[in-house]
Amino acid sequence: MTERWVQRFALGATFVVGSAAAFAARAQELSGPPAPPSPTVSAAAEGIYAAARPSLLQIRTLVEAAGRQSTIGSGFLVSADGLAVTNYHVVSQYALEPKTYRLEFARPDGAQGAVKLLAIDVANDLAIVQLDGKDLPHLAFDAAALGDTSPRGERLYAMGNPLDLGFTIVEGTYNGFVEKSYNQRIHFTGAINPGMSGGPAVTAAGKVAGINVAKRLDGELVSFLVPAGKAAALLDRARKDAPLDLPKAREEIDRQLVAWQADFYHALGEQGFRGTALGPYKAPESAGPWFTCWARTNADQTPKPRAQMDSTSCASQSSLFIAEDIETGRTELSHAYVRSIDLNSFQFAAFLSQYYGSAGMIRTWSRKRLTQPQCHEDFVERGENGSAPVLRAVWCARAYRDFSGIYDVAITTVTQDRDKEALISRLSMQGVSYDNALALAQRFVGEVAWTK
Amino acid sequence: MDQMTTPTAADSSVWIEILSRQHDVASRHRFERGPITIGRAYDNDVVVDDAHVAAHHLCIMPEEDGTLVAEDLGSRNGLFLDRESERRARVALDGERALRIGNTLIRVRTAAHAVPEELAMVRSPHYWAIAIACIVGVFGLAILDLWLSETGEAKAIRYFTPLLILTVVVSVWIAGWSVLTRVFRGHARFGLHFLIVAAGMLAYSVYDQAAEIGAFAFSWTGLTTSSYIVAWLVFGAICFAHLWVLGRSKLPLKFAVVAVLAAAAIAMQTLKQSEYRSNYGQPVVLHRLEPPALRMVTPQTEAVFFTDAEALRNDLDKARTEEPVGGDSSDADEGDE
Repeated sequence: MTERWVQRFALGATFVVGSAAAFAARAQELSGPPAPPSPTVSAAAEGIYAAARPSLLQIRTLVEAAGRQSTIGSGFLVSADGLAVTNYHVVSQYALEPKTYRLEFARPDGAQGAVKLLAIDVANDLAIVQLDGKDLPHLAFDAAALGDTSPRGERLYAMGNPLDLGFTIVEGTYNGFVEKSYNQRIHFTGAINPGMSGGPAVTAAGKVAGINVAKRLDGELVSFLVPAGKAAALLDRARKDAPLDLPKAREEIDRQLVAWQADFYHALGEQGFRGTALGPYKAPESAGPWFTCWARTNADQTPKPRAQMDSTSCASQSSLFIAEDIETGRTELSHAYVRSIDLNSFQFAAFLSQYYGSAGMIRTWSRKRLTQPQCHEDFVERGENGSAPVLRAVWCARAYRDFSGIYDVAITTVTQDRDKEALISRLSMQGVSYDNALALAQRFVGEVAWTK
Repeated sequence: MDQMTTPTAADSSVWIEILSRQHDVASRHRFERGPITIGRAYDNDVVVDDAHVAAHHLCIMPEEDGTLVAEDLGSRNGLFLDRESERRARVALDGERALRIGNTLIRVRTAAHAVPEELAMVRSPHYWAIAIACIVGVFGLAILDLWLSETGEAKAIRYFTPLLILTVVVSVWIAGWSVLTRVFRGHARFGLHFLIVAAGMLAYSVYDQAAEIGAFAFSWTGLTTSSYIVAWLVFGAICFAHLWVLGRSKLPLKFAVVAVLAAAAIAMQTLKQSEYRSNYGQPVVLHRLEPPALRMVTPQTEAVFFTDAEALRNDLDKARTEEPVGGDSSDADEGDE
């Protein structure tokens, strides 16, 4: 697709904290002026930090052959026998390529050693690891956080090892759950930096309310935490179930992704579509609450466009990080109502072709991760005796090489009832099972109609 | 060949013709009677500047029955018939086959040698007219195509640049073939070469436009994605036609060479395309829509469309394990466009 459809990605992009590649790329954004210190805060934070410090961990992923770290993150102990919580994305390299990488911990007192990966939760970006030891200091979960009853505005203290500079404590505010995020996240107003991923965010009482996970690059201090309840649930699972079978970690991720998308698309289906009027057409938009929508027009472009295009585009806030080069879980619905200003019908069709031809494969493609797309296109007639406009439709799908249950699928339709006016509609689904994609696409296509 | 005889009554003169490698006459010498000697020395009747010819190499003389023979005067390099490799001491002359001494070709004819009837003065003005009509058609289609796909500001430069490039390339191409034809056939045949190129290009332009529209009208994307095959076939046909003008000999060989080259070009481009696709993950879909009125097929029902879409799943599942994965992913992070 052209730039106009792409720009909204930048606004919606969340930055996953703690990846080596991200370090260099984002360095500039991290060099802003520091917030002025407040003496009262540091007094409170001092005690909290002193109490939590022994439970903090730095989790390092090392390249087996070189013995050097390739990514770093944080974590914290949650039991005396060495169970610790961190982010899935901190250990994802190791989980996917256990022969190439290994995991290590480092404690604030300088102790180091190997850790074992016990369980992962891809949807909530969590992992449970274990290190050897007895009677280890550890943190407890906050009861209010587990019951989702934390008061908005409560002070939280995020801890971790940002940029490999040493363990730090950062004060911030609890701001409830992120409203449009399908995967439940706490909106934390505070500075989380790369390397702090997986570290705890604790209450003034030193109890864990959330786990540092990500921040927005286009705002200030807009950071995200995984709710403590998700970590407590995974911890229970790790205690009960057999530890993750590393060589089969991909199958486990696959299983989790398939289960996640089953819930997500079930929920989308339940929410259904609502029709938005665009010119003479009715365009289906999801009624789900997890979509951020933007509208744009080319009416103010210079030189004056020869066809006017008004588009709306809704993207679900449901991205899942799988690996540095695999992100999945997004769904997008876009519509563009186009009408000719002074293009003839051939030129108008050529104008539409620019949007039809890319077939809506969500952008990044890597040969290592995805198969080449396969497409099917044709004219499609719906309804009885022309009760809905004939469509030109193209369905394109590609499979994930690492996970056998999921695909990226996009369907694009162009109305074929007028020669100088058209509605282009697109539904893109990332990481969806083929059956769910077919079902949702069929509903989507069925909803493209005339307003009267 | 009719036997050559020395005319007794009227003209009994003999012509010695020195030929070029292409058998054009380089020089011609008339003698009233034989014997005629040929060699490098200056006491010969015909002096040949060829280091491989003996000082006294060849003698042309009439036999008792009146026929002419050529006789080797004992040279080191001998006497041959045109392209043969068998050395001869004596050759009976027929006025058609050339003799070879050293690197020099010699033909001997008597005054009685019969020449074919003169050709009628048929010029070929039609070639030019048809060629110009074709090229106008090609340019017209190209401009029409550009105009119909114009969705932004119309800029004259967009039209002129491709036409100018096309004109230059075609001119150089025709000039090249004409020079070759001039060298080997003695006649440039510019008009005919022009016609070949113009007709070939027109054929492809028409096909290309028809394919663009047909791919949409009949919902058959393959028509446009495989149009490069037709382009190479047309180009091969053009080359073969040029070669045909250049000379009618060895046509099967010329055909075979052109066919092999065209097949190789098609194979290479197919390979390149599939490599490009596997590097950038580009979907293969119709790249140009046409006005809805041009649709010629009945639309599918939704159910059939999604059944066909479902059928792709098997290919994808197969590709998941079978498709080659090359290099690291960083070289292919490019999305669309």
